[in-house]
Amino acid sequence: MKNIVLFFSAIAFVLLTAAMLLTAGWTAPPIHSTQQGFRGLSMGQLSTPRSERLLKEANKLPDGFEKASATGDRATAVYQNVQVLKDLSADQFNRVMLAMTAWVAPPDQGCAYCHNVDKMADDSLYTKRVARRMLEMTRQVNVDWKNHVAINGAGVTCYTCHRGQPVPANIWFNEPPPRTGGAAATNDGFGHPTKANGSTAMSGNPFAPLDDKKSIIRIIGTNALPHGAGASMPSTYQNYALMIAISNSLGVNCTFCHNSRSFLGWTESTPQRVTAYHGIQMVRDLNAKFLDPLKSDLPAQRLGPLGDGPKANCATCHQGASKPLLGVSMAKDWPELGGATSQ
Amino acid sequence: MAMLSFEKKYRIRGGTLIGGDLFDFWVGPFFVGFFGVTTAICVAVGVAMIAWGAVLGHTWNPWQISIAPPDLKYGLAFAPLREGGLWQVITGCAIGAFVSWALREVEICRKLGMAYHVPAAFGMAIFAYVTLVVIRPVLMGAWGYGFPYGILSHLDWVSNTGYQYLHFHYNPAHMLAISFFFANALALGMHGSLILSASNPRSGLNVKTTESEDTFFRDAIGYSIGTLGIHRLGVFLSVSAVFFSAVCIVISGPFYTHGWPEWWNWWLNLPVWR
Amino acid sequence: MSLYENIYTQVQVRPTVPDPGVVIEENKDRAGGAFVQLLGYIGNAQVGPIYLGYLGVLSLLFGFFAFEIIGLNMLASVHWDPIQFIRQLFWLALEPPKAEYGLRIPPLAEGGWWLMAGFFLTMSVLLWWARMYRRAYVLGLGSHNAWAFASAIFLMVSIGFIRPVLMGHWSEAVPFGIFPHLDWTAAFSIRYGNLYYNPFHMLSIAFLYGSALLFAMHGATILAVGRFGGEREVEQIVYRGTAAERAALFWRWTMGFNATMESIHRWAWWFAVLTPLTGGIGILLTGTVVDNWFLWGVQHGLVPTYPHAFPPVVDPSLVPGASQ
Repeated sequence: MKNIVLFFSAIAFVLLTAAMLLTAGWTAPPIHSTQQGFRGLSMGQLSTPRSERLLKEANKLPDGFEKASATGDRATAVYQNVQVLKDLSADQFNRVMLAMTAWVAPPDQGCAYCHNVDKMADDSLYTKRVARRMLEMTRQVNVDWKNHVAINGAGVTCYTCHRGQPVPANIWFNEPPPRTGGAAATNDGFGHPTKANGSTAMSGNPFAPLDDKKSIIRIIGTNALPHGAGASMPSTYQNYALMIAISNSLGVNCTFCHNSRSFLGWTESTPQRVTAYHGIQMVRDLNAKFLDPLKSDLPAQRLGPLGDGPKANCATCHQGASKPLLGVSMAKDWPELGGATSQ
Repeated sequence: MAMLSFEKKYRIRGGTLIGGDLFDFWVGPFFVGFFGVTTAICVAVGVAMIAWGAVLGHTWNPWQISIAPPDLKYGLAFAPLREGGLWQVITGCAIGAFVSWALREVEICRKLGMAYHVPAAFGMAIFAYVTLVVIRPVLMGAWGYGFPYGILSHLDWVSNTGYQYLHFHYNPAHMLAISFFFANALALGMHGSLILSASNPRSGLNVKTTESEDTFFRDAIGYSIGTLGIHRLGVFLSVSAVFFSAVCIVISGPFYTHGWPEWWNWWLNLPVWR
Repeated sequence: MSLYENIYTQVQVRPTVPDPGVVIEENKDRAGGAFVQLLGYIGNAQVGPIYLGYLGVLSLLFGFFAFEIIGLNMLASVHWDPIQFIRQLFWLALEPPKAEYGLRIPPLAEGGWWLMAGFFLTMSVLLWWARMYRRAYVLGLGSHNAWAFASAIFLMVSIGFIRPVLMGHWSEAVPFGIFPHLDWTAAFSIRYGNLYYNPFHMLSIAFLYGSALLFAMHGATILAVGRFGGEREVEQIVYRGTAAERAALFWRWTMGFNATMESIHRWAWWFAVLTPLTGGIGILLTGTVVDNWFLWGVQHGLVPTYPHAFPPVVDPSLVPGASQ
């Protein structure tokens, strides 16, 4: 009996060790890294040649579209029911339509994904109504949120989020409240590893502060001595889980923005932290203004378990890169979408 | 003199590794030996370099003095003295001093007819230091990965290095090392207590024997490891703590670059329950 | 030529029956006693007899309650699936109540179970302390072990009870769970401005590392003089033999000073005891007296300054017209 137990334990041990050694994401030198602060502070990003290669492959740009002339017949003259792209010429309008077909619509449906092909102008399909809001959103991001998306002029297009898919990867929904049944502890949803919370044991919904302008992100005490009630530990877990989620979304670590000896201090932080601040404000704004309200247009299978609309987080655009599409600007060729060359 | 009452008969010649009788003498209570001389040289040069580094810095506040390693851009080359070269020299002196100290301990063991457990255990601590400032930087390609020499500045390095992996507590070797550190503190407390309680019993009673010591722990927790065993356990726990600490930092960077919580996905994604 | 290096015991010597232990009044409450060959390589081969008195049995009972409350809640949180229980075991939690409950007793599902488990665990530990005190008393030994244990209990009770009470809510306390309690540790340092700048945290770490240093030094020294009977420490304390003399001289010649066979155990006791003692003080001061240790460090001249590596960064929420 003892021998049988020992035998199977040995087998399990060998198999588990093999799994750990072979599948745990180990790398080997050479390691590439950057230095982000004064020497000896150990602020910097780590990568391997393989991870860099994979990132490059994942961020290949789609084919370009020939520029369209802004002169000529207005789109409103040629087409009916033009509400957002009123300022464009017909050529530009067509260019945008071709791009959306390539960047968003499923190839087997093409124009029919959004349009009733017998009557192109009508809004019967929900996808057309949603696309209209998407165009407004893209323009607003490029014009009003330059402090996040266009510090070096990059900007965004539909492709930045959609990447050829009708529904972007990396959207999120509200989670139903934790349900354990009976009198068992709910733990506020803590205690379960997910991709979103980076396999930690913290919040199951780390992105919640990105859909709630009132939620506190700043939790660190701002004075050496206590001044009234500060943030609680639960708020701190929420913040930490969000920060880990942001780090994973951008493929960076905490030292990309922070000198961890003082997470609070802006004099200790890198310029990227300011960009990230604007990014958080932007995502909250987009979720509140454009994405949450979509729930009235979207069919049930496009909604979350609680019936809420899809929401964006950092990963929706960044998809594991510190600059979406590795910082290459598509928007500079798309004044139609509010890109850099537009008024 | 600085000799203990029983010391004279132990002060014999012999046991040296290098140098024979040349350095086989004491200065006060300190045994010198060839390695005592090399230690003294390394310490003198190293401390002088540290003092120079403090002069180059802008403070004499002992909490704030810091001598930083070179920028990463210098790779594994010698950096200019004021740009991290000083750190490199100090590191060399430190390793020289530590190894000399260990070898001097070996000579003292030989002279006293003792086994070499002490310098061997110290060797593990030296290994951990060398891992931090030589092995890991070499594997990662730059001396700049070493930690700065400064009381609070080295803690800033620890903090940032930890957060480079998002949540360093999830590093499995780190978990093991901490467990060994805490177990060691527990065992040390228990052992110190036991000996003191046996040799300082309740007022009016005789000093207790090994039988009482064993009985106490058998009564209390069902097992007494014994007088020899506890010392083996102590060395095992403390040396393991240091060993796994070295392991936990050498795998962070050269062999793993993501966040440590993510490492556990191998367990979460095992085919039996994916 | 092969030498004996005192790493393991080559020939195990043991009595024919397990040693029943020094005779005490409650001898009848002792149970068990067997030999385990594997243990005999490192230390004594004898396991047991263990003393089962009221304090110990009650302590184990309360401990069992705490263990079951924690474990069953964890099992419930994976919907009673034993496979997921094993898979997620390290992550599973039993969390304290949220901040809005203050120090009131919350509903069971919202932290009540945590409070109950914490109560049973604390009672279990305190009863076990009483047991340790009593076992030493009955054998005529000094109470050093109990007081060392008290230091550890001080830390546990500080983190889990005293500090949450001082702060006014249970949510400050540590969750049960392997990774969850590590998340607490990291979050605690983040919230209170980097605990590395807490001087009591520094002291506690110095004593923790010092304990590792001391046990390596002391353990290795005794093993190195094993050939002279160095492990018979109490005997050597009362009647100094060549083992104690050589051990002392090794350190005197190495570092210029030395302990004695007794005093090294006092060094050991204090380092081990001061680790949780200073740590507990550091915990109690955090959030109550100091809200941000880095800023406290700035005020007290601890914080090193570094040359700037990038242009100065300003809090964007302070720029006029910014959103919060």
